[in-house]
Amino acid sequence: MSLDSSRSANSGPQNLKRSFNSNSSNDKGNSSNSKKRKSNQKTLGMAWGPNSLSTSRSSFRSSPFSDFGSYMVEKNRKLQNQFDAEASNSSLSDSSTKPIFHGVSIFVDGFTVPSSQELRRYMLNYGGRFENYFSRHRVTHIICSNLPDSKIKNIRSFSGGLPVVKPTWILDSVAAKRLLSWVPYQLDQLASNQPTLSAFFTSKFSPASEGVFTAAICEVKHATEDLCLKDASTDAKFSEEGEPSEWRKKITEEHDELMRGNTDSKVIEEPSSSYSEASQEVKGVERSYLEQDDESKENNGPQYCPEQPSASVSSHCFDNHSIKGLPHSTALGPSKQRHSTLGDPNFVENYFKNSRLHFIGTWRNRYRKRFPSLPNGFKCVNSHLDVSADTQKTAIIHIDMDCFFVSVVIRSHPELHDKPVAVCHSDNPKGTAEISSANYPARDYGIRAGMFVRDAKALCTHLVILSYNFEAYEEVADQFYNILHKHCNRVQAVSCDEAFLDVTDLEGEDPQLLASVIRKEIFEATGCTASAGIAVNMLMARLATRTAKPNGQCYISPERVDEYLDQLPIKALPGIGHVLEEKLKNRNVRTCGQLRMISKDSLQKDFRFKTGEMLWNYCRGVDNRLVGTIQESKSVGAEVNWGVRFRDLQDTQHFLLDLCKEVSLRLQGCGVQGRTFTLKIKKRRKDAGEPAKYMGCGDCENLSHSTTVPLATDDVEVLQRITKQLFGFFHIDVKDIRGVGLQVSRLESVDTSKQVLERNSLKSWLISASARSEEQCDINGIAKDRVGTDTEGRSMGGNSGVLCTDPVGNSVLRTNNTSNGEGCSNQGLSIPLLCDLDMGVVESLPSELLSELNEMYGGKLVDLIAKSKGQGENSTGSLCFHSPELAKVEEAERSRNSDPISLSRTAAEMKGKQHILDGLQTVPDSGAGFNSIAISIQGLDNNDLMPSSLSQVDTSVLQQLPEELRADIFESLPEHRRQEISTLGPNRDNLHHPLCINPPESTDSGLTNTLWIGNPPMWVDKFKVSNLLMLRFFADMYYKAKSAENLSSILQCTIAESLHPLDAKCDAWNEAVHSFNELLVEYIKLKIVVDIEEIYVCFRLLRRLSTRSEFFLEVYNLVFPHLQVSVDENYGGNLHIPLNK
Amino acid sequence: MERKDNQSPRGHIAGILVEFLEVAITSVVFLKGIYSPGAFERRRYMNVVVQRARHPQLRDYIHSAVSGLLPFIEKGLVERVAVIFFNTDNIPVERFMFKLAVNQSFDSKVEESDLEFSLRSFLVKLSVSQPLTKVLPCDCRWEITAYFRSLPQVSNCKDTELWISTDTKQWQQPPLITPIKSMNSEPLGVQLYLEHPSPSEPKS
Repeated sequence: MSLDSSRSANSGPQNLKRSFNSNSSNDKGNSSNSKKRKSNQKTLGMAWGPNSLSTSRSSFRSSPFSDFGSYMVEKNRKLQNQFDAEASNSSLSDSSTKPIFHGVSIFVDGFTVPSSQELRRYMLNYGGRFENYFSRHRVTHIICSNLPDSKIKNIRSFSGGLPVVKPTWILDSVAAKRLLSWVPYQLDQLASNQPTLSAFFTSKFSPASEGVFTAAICEVKHATEDLCLKDASTDAKFSEEGEPSEWRKKITEEHDELMRGNTDSKVIEEPSSSYSEASQEVKGVERSYLEQDDESKENNGPQYCPEQPSASVSSHCFDNHSIKGLPHSTALGPSKQRHSTLGDPNFVENYFKNSRLHFIGTWRNRYRKRFPSLPNGFKCVNSHLDVSADTQKTAIIHIDMDCFFVSVVIRSHPELHDKPVAVCHSDNPKGTAEISSANYPARDYGIRAGMFVRDAKALCTHLVILSYNFEAYEEVADQFYNILHKHCNRVQAVSCDEAFLDVTDLEGEDPQLLASVIRKEIFEATGCTASAGIAVNMLMARLATRTAKPNGQCYISPERVDEYLDQLPIKALPGIGHVLEEKLKNRNVRTCGQLRMISKDSLQKDFRFKTGEMLWNYCRGVDNRLVGTIQESKSVGAEVNWGVRFRDLQDTQHFLLDLCKEVSLRLQGCGVQGRTFTLKIKKRRKDAGEPAKYMGCGDCENLSHSTTVPLATDDVEVLQRITKQLFGFFHIDVKDIRGVGLQVSRLESVDTSKQVLERNSLKSWLISASARSEEQCDINGIAKDRVGTDTEGRSMGGNSGVLCTDPVGNSVLRTNNTSNGEGCSNQGLSIPLLCDLDMGVVESLPSELLSELNEMYGGKLVDLIAKSKGQGENSTGSLCFHSPELAKVEEAERSRNSDPISLSRTAAEMKGKQHILDGLQTVPDSGAGFNSIAISIQGLDNNDLMPSSLSQVDTSVLQQLPEELRADIFESLPEHRRQEISTLGPNRDNLHHPLCINPPESTDSGLTNTLWIGNPPMWVDKFKVSNLLMLRFFADMYYKAKSAENLSSILQCTIAESLHPLDAKCDAWNEAVHSFNELLVEYIKLKIVVDIEEIYVCFRLLRRLSTRSEFFLEVYNLVFPHLQVSVDENYGGNLHIPLNK
Repeated sequence: MERKDNQSPRGHIAGILVEFLEVAITSVVFLKGIYSPGAFERRRYMNVVVQRARHPQLRDYIHSAVSGLLPFIEKGLVERVAVIFFNTDNIPVERFMFKLAVNQSFDSKVEESDLEFSLRSFLVKLSVSQPLTKVLPCDCRWEITAYFRSLPQVSNCKDTELWISTDTKQWQQPPLITPIKSMNSEPLGVQLYLEHPSPSEPKS
């Protein structure tokens, strides 16, 4: 609707000379003329305002030019010459390739980030042109960040039909090293109207409809097809005319019509409008994913019955599962694999799949997503224990699984338990692989981590070598942390198998007892043992664990600390490595007791301040660190230095691409984007032969190059281009490369706002939703499968079965559901399929809401969330997401289950299946929005977009919504229903605040400001429940106003709204005036010192309101004296408020 | 207009503030049209077009006045900086007040771009606030006056000598205030408002 810039309208030639003449002939101060001038003014360059005009005119008078026009012609010529001269100096591009911005000539309008000067530099460097003055003939793109309303309305005369593009287009093009299509970068104000709430509903609605068998929705489906046809026809029109904007306008108009026409097509309106966008992008050469979406939709459309694909899928996953069940077979697997970049096209992928370090490195990220509420938002499950407040000595438990990597693998092989077993990525007879972990029997033979297999075999001939089982590690690690988080709300994860717990608060329990309970639970849940150390701080707890291992626990009481440390070798202290140990040994220090003899100053002198202090503290058992959270990572990267052998450049490029993909995935996994990219290369030294370790890197030189780009990115293509460029800097023989690493630093988190901006949120929802529809078939397949195997033999067919076939604790959860009341009664019909949920949204929901949703899905949601974290976590419980009662229910369920192994087996089974799902899930999570909220509300009524009355709305859901959304919902309700809104409020506690608690006279005497605290501020709630229409109206305005923290914007909004019904005098008139007065007085108090401008604006608005409404007049008169007193106090004067026109 | 980078955050803020004041005061003088427009040239500062005095004396006066304030701003002594336009009787006609609030306890690094973003709005607003101001009588003069929270020790700094106590008369009545712009972004708060004599002010 907004984009109606069509070229046909620009046929009228715009004469530079003429417009300038008209400018100069106009009187500068004359406002009526200036309006006229504006419409004449096609030359944007003159948008400096009257001042500049006068200066340029004065200079023109004394200049030799005959008139302004010839002056400008001359000036433009000079500017061009200047630009050309500079460009020839600074152009970066080599002559062989066409520069990025070849043929592009930009005009920068108004304020932009980066500034026009920076943009000019980009154009200089990359072969574009930069125009200082707008000309329809020379300029090809207008760059601006923001446009005034008048220009938007009259876009044609402003832009002359040229594309109006955001500056990021230039930045991204530079980063991508090619000219990107400008279409996605079109100015937001022009591109499409802001998405409304109803759009969100609909967008979710149509994908959901695909799987559900109700007649109503089938109708909707037909409507979609209809519309698709329409789209096709308009498409044809489009190709005829070749006029994208024109075409688009038509589309929008048509959709508008449809929207007015019937509700069914209204439901579809939004998605199809984004189809139109998709086709536009096709025009702009950019291949959009919506296009794919389109295809997949067509494929999926008729496929209402998912039975057929299901069979193959489920059998496939069982196959896979059985493979996983037998570690022996997998141990053989890798040896058959091709080992170097030479033979294996998917080397990078396989490499990381088999890398233990990769597992540990990425585990942390997964953990953080799984327990997102770190550091202080833990659900205090054991809150009842948290009673007394007296200061007790801290108690820290350090818990560590015993030889984690081995014991997880052998837990299903009891026959191996007392045999020496080591874990290693390969059991090649050559034996040059390194052992990564060995169990205690093996350690008795002297086998250590890092040893070559052949050396280990020499020490112990019957050593069993097993391969990694990363799925099992994930599963066990998750179980491990579930248990920890259940018992304690202050957990610091150190690694996937090691953590600190601060149990100081849990005074009801003896730490030693707690530790043994936790260990027992870990053993029961995972079949692996863990050791625990208990002490007063993290250092001592860690040391205690060392003593406790294997499978034990040790408590070091504060009295015994000295005794314990006395004979402890210094090497045992964390933070003391080989180098430090050597240095200390030279000083004849071998034990902590000896270290204690050295003074702190001397230590600090010899080992620098921090290390010295650490040594001094540690050897005394002092550790002040708090059990906290894991740190943010500073860089993300991937490095491969095993098996890297290249034949030619092509191999290398292929490898780099894979590496970029991996890094991009990791960046996305961490939710960050980076600006600095470092490529590290290990180059074989000239004299180095083939390394001893098979396919190892041997003796290498480390080389690196790095570059920084202006815009943070995680895009594979950009990464690839940068990497290629970086690789070009090395100039080395690819045959000498033994290792490659790509690291991304200067990370910026992908904050939600940016995400919304970049990927038009509505669009991304559509994509994530419908691209998953393929996947849905698989879920259905599995669901079917499960129904079949269910012993109860529930014969539920179709999709509703999906909801009820979760084997774990489902029945218990379902009873919970029913107590949920009305909101759930429809649910069998209305809940969207699990796979249709956008995980990005679901994850960011508040935990209460999440657990509620989880209940609706019978616990599967949490599992799916864990899945969607990218690494395919497994979870059986995830108790941390549940409310405490729920946790207990599940616990009960678990305890009833007498055989823990069978439980874990079900888990593994689920795991197997869900892992397949993961593999199929090709679309990464695209974030943002209130998708699932939309779902839950949408679920309340299938045939209509909105419920006809609030009584149908689950109030508990509604109250979880952000205020803005709620306001939006209320907006779309019929007028006569609005009264019900106020009844929704009273659940909030602060509403019981009596009205007018402070008489206005007393506010001066230092009463604390209460009305403006909170978000939304207190007064909004207070006014909302007020029985006064005026106040309620004003509270509504709060949600309507754009930047509602300022009173001025709320008042602005109030002015915009019609006021006449508000002035009806009623009994509570005085009360309303009073409350409002109080609000203003507090606002003055809040703002008077720092922001007199805001006060000024508010009172001017109030004054304007007071001419229209008696209510505001009274308020104004009441509060004005107070205002003047405040201003006088702070500024020594009176605020001058002129009367508005 | 260059700044040293090796300053404490507070000094850094004061540096930005002083630089901003110099530009803003020049803009005020330009706005009031005391000198002919030819006495100014267009420059770009913080990505907006501003005016810069061409006459060296004018430029020096503004520059030395505000940079003389730097040590006091750093100490948080300066409460307001005023640009006062007064008639031949030394009675002020119009005062542009810059009310400063530098949070002294703030000690972390300041994002300069954030600060610039807020300060820029002053320059933009100032360039369009002509209608708020009064037409000045002819033969009008102006000066820069700083209001201190407390009197600085004269001895310890020779910068102080540049500053003399003002001859300008005060208004008898509290003035009328018209705010132009306020900003408060931690650790710096700046407010710009106009002061005009109240209508009840005795005419001389």
